[in-house]
Amino acid sequence: MRNTPLTEAHVAAGARMVDFHGWNMPVQYAGILEETRRVRSQVGLFDLCHMGRLEIRGKDREALVERVFSSNLGKLKHGRAKYGFLLDERGYPIDDVLAYRGVDIVHIVINAGGRDADGPWVEARAAQEGFEADVKDVSDEQAMIALQGRNSEMTLQPLCSVDLSSVKYYGFANGLVLGIPCLLARTGYTGEDGFELFFAKGHARRVWDALLDSGKQLGAAPIGLGARDLLRLEAGMPLYGSEISRAIHPLEADLEFGLDLDKTGTLGIPALRAAKVKGFPRRAVSLAAKGGPVARSGTELWQAGRTVGVVTSGGVSPTIDRNIARALVEASTAAPGTTLEAEVRGKRYPFQVVPSPFYKRLR
Amino acid sequence: MANRPSKARYTKTHEWVLVEGDQATLGITDFAVEHLGDLVFVSLPDVGRLLKAGEVAAEVESVKAVGEVYAPITGTVAAVNTGLAADQGPLAKDPFGQGWLFKLKVKAGAGADLMDLAAYEKQLASEGK
Repeated sequence: MRNTPLTEAHVAAGARMVDFHGWNMPVQYAGILEETRRVRSQVGLFDLCHMGRLEIRGKDREALVERVFSSNLGKLKHGRAKYGFLLDERGYPIDDVLAYRGVDIVHIVINAGGRDADGPWVEARAAQEGFEADVKDVSDEQAMIALQGRNSEMTLQPLCSVDLSSVKYYGFANGLVLGIPCLLARTGYTGEDGFELFFAKGHARRVWDALLDSGKQLGAAPIGLGARDLLRLEAGMPLYGSEISRAIHPLEADLEFGLDLDKTGTLGIPALRAAKVKGFPRRAVSLAAKGGPVARSGTELWQAGRTVGVVTSGGVSPTIDRNIARALVEASTAAPGTTLEAEVRGKRYPFQVVPSPFYKRLR
Repeated sequence: MANRPSKARYTKTHEWVLVEGDQATLGITDFAVEHLGDLVFVSLPDVGRLLKAGEVAAEVESVKAVGEVYAPITGTVAAVNTGLAADQGPLAKDPFGQGWLFKLKVKAGAGADLMDLAAYEKQLASEGK
């Protein structure tokens, strides 16, 4: 297993560690529910050093990104970020990513599980199709830390040279944190306000400790992967490999907001345009139940004596006090209000199809 | 450390059983509860069911995992702690008291071969717990 520059800090803080895509990562500190509540009400810190980061420079950098990225980079202002997919020719995601449009650079943040594949995929397109662009994998050089929750700005501001109130949601800026050059992005994957910081790896521990100290009176504490998974599930955000994969495309997963279907020249987009016209038999839905067992990933769903789908992610939401799940079901059973039965260890328990997402913050 | 009853017997898989005459009360230990974390669901056996030693008798589910509870001795289910289905609080707070899981009608003297408290705590210590 690989360690991040913060692994020692997690172990010292008493975190329970797990192997996540080959990385030695904290799954929980104080407890998954408590950590989830903390991010929803105060602020939490996340070690995201294991995630992948690409920097794309050169004359054709934006043309290359438009070729491989499902959203429309050209419609973004400089200093803004957008969620989307790297699609294969059939329209199935190789990964879901955030692309950050800088003046002379595009940053792409990829999943830990995509680190081996995504960079080479983009580079291969550049080489085969003659784009003049330099694709650099900076994952091993950079640290990435997220602060998420309503007290994020107050925690970060005292350490930082940028006026954070001027950084919009899904915007980013270059500045200094503790005097360290840093990219500060108002992005995240929890459904809360917050920031993601990118800077040279050697400073990771110093920044981490300073953020915890700065946010002490604001409730700042480290958050593990367990709560991270629950936070993103509550907020209706997909996990690559669960909600989307080489077998589940973004339209089925109800993620059209990550696509620009009018784009031309983007890999996978023509296939999805065709799929949208033709229709597709499966739909992603949100399910909720009061009490009962958790419907975890892989749980079969039944209606009127036959299986109609499968859970892709499941958990317990402390925010809405329900057992919740995302599932992929036959389109005829996808309407909110429909009751489906989840088969858990041989018994069936009712879940209701509910509107998505489970949680949306008030702004 | 929780107040582990000295009269109870214990298993390697962190169940406890207190045998009084032909009635046994069963549950899971504070260590098991602590290890599972935030509890969300408990599934208990039907009253009247014959459980053989080693069979899965109940499930205790937490936010992150499902723990199977094995019957450490053979017996017929005489009662279950039905309140735990709606509220797992007693199990989280008082696993040896209000958080009992179920009772079995057993043969007198059943469970004598299980670990006593000292042996169980020695096992926990040897596992670094």
